[in-house]
Amino acid sequence: MLEFSPDRLDAYLAISTVLFAAGVLAATTRRNAIGLLIGLELLLNAAALQFAAYGRFRASATDPQGQTAAVFVIVVAAAEAALALAMLFAVYKTTRDVDLEKTRELRS
Amino acid sequence: MIESLLFWLCCAMVLVGALGAALVRNVFHAALLLGLCLLGVAGLYLFLEQPWLACVQVIVYIGGVLVLILFATLFSADAMGTEQRRRVTTLVIGSGAGALALVLAWRMATVGMQNGVGLQPTRSEPGMVPDAMAGSTNTVGDLLVGDWFVPFLAAGLLLTVALVGAVITVQRFRVRAEAERA
Repeated sequence: MLEFSPDRLDAYLAISTVLFAAGVLAATTRRNAIGLLIGLELLLNAAALQFAAYGRFRASATDPQGQTAAVFVIVVAAAEAALALAMLFAVYKTTRDVDLEKTRELRS
Repeated sequence: MIESLLFWLCCAMVLVGALGAALVRNVFHAALLLGLCLLGVAGLYLFLEQPWLACVQVIVYIGGVLVLILFATLFSADAMGTEQRRRVTTLVIGSGAGALALVLAWRMATVGMQNGVGLQPTRSEPGMVPDAMAGSTNTVGDLLVGDWFVPFLAAGLLLTVALVGAVITVQRFRVRAEAERA
């Protein structure tokens, strides 16, 4: 049923689904906070890929709104990465560790 | 022929990168695999005839976010280098959540594909090279200052707030460290 070819929407959707699942796996099982951040980036990338794919496979003409929405997803991911790494820095300064099972508080 | 080979290569990069980034124990390696995955996604954007988006992906993700992550990994290699072994219960629950996400996301994707209004799930052969302008920077720029103007401003505000917040979060600790040293 699923045919892999660059001309088919379901190929892109399948890739993006696997990307999403890998993101969930990383975000739920990682003990290292940077690993968690990597998982979140995977999740957001899956979303952006779906936007772009749906925008491309319109019946009439390619819809640039899919692409624009994907750019907004990338913007959110960038902002999230900056903030999360700053918080990681703060946690690391306080506890000298970023293991999520040991880290319980931000305040020293 | 070449096209489908490249497409397969991009897909393999995305899959290997994503699963590797989720499973590899060394965080530095996970970050590098994330880079592979992001590059593969940029390739898929090229196949979707959206070269501008592919450029943004490479510049912002690989040039910005990934470098930031690698820098953070290197910055404290002692604690961030290799992850502690994950507990079996965490792995079981996480795999369950991942499998559930896989099934649900695929179900949503197929439902969206079948019921989406105005979608054409297969690209018919030659005539389906639509409006050449649709993938270009011009149209996206027009959208950003047209229909998407308010979200565009909100994104700018979000980035500003995130950057200022990041600086303040880090600064507070530097001030405290200096006070302790004095």
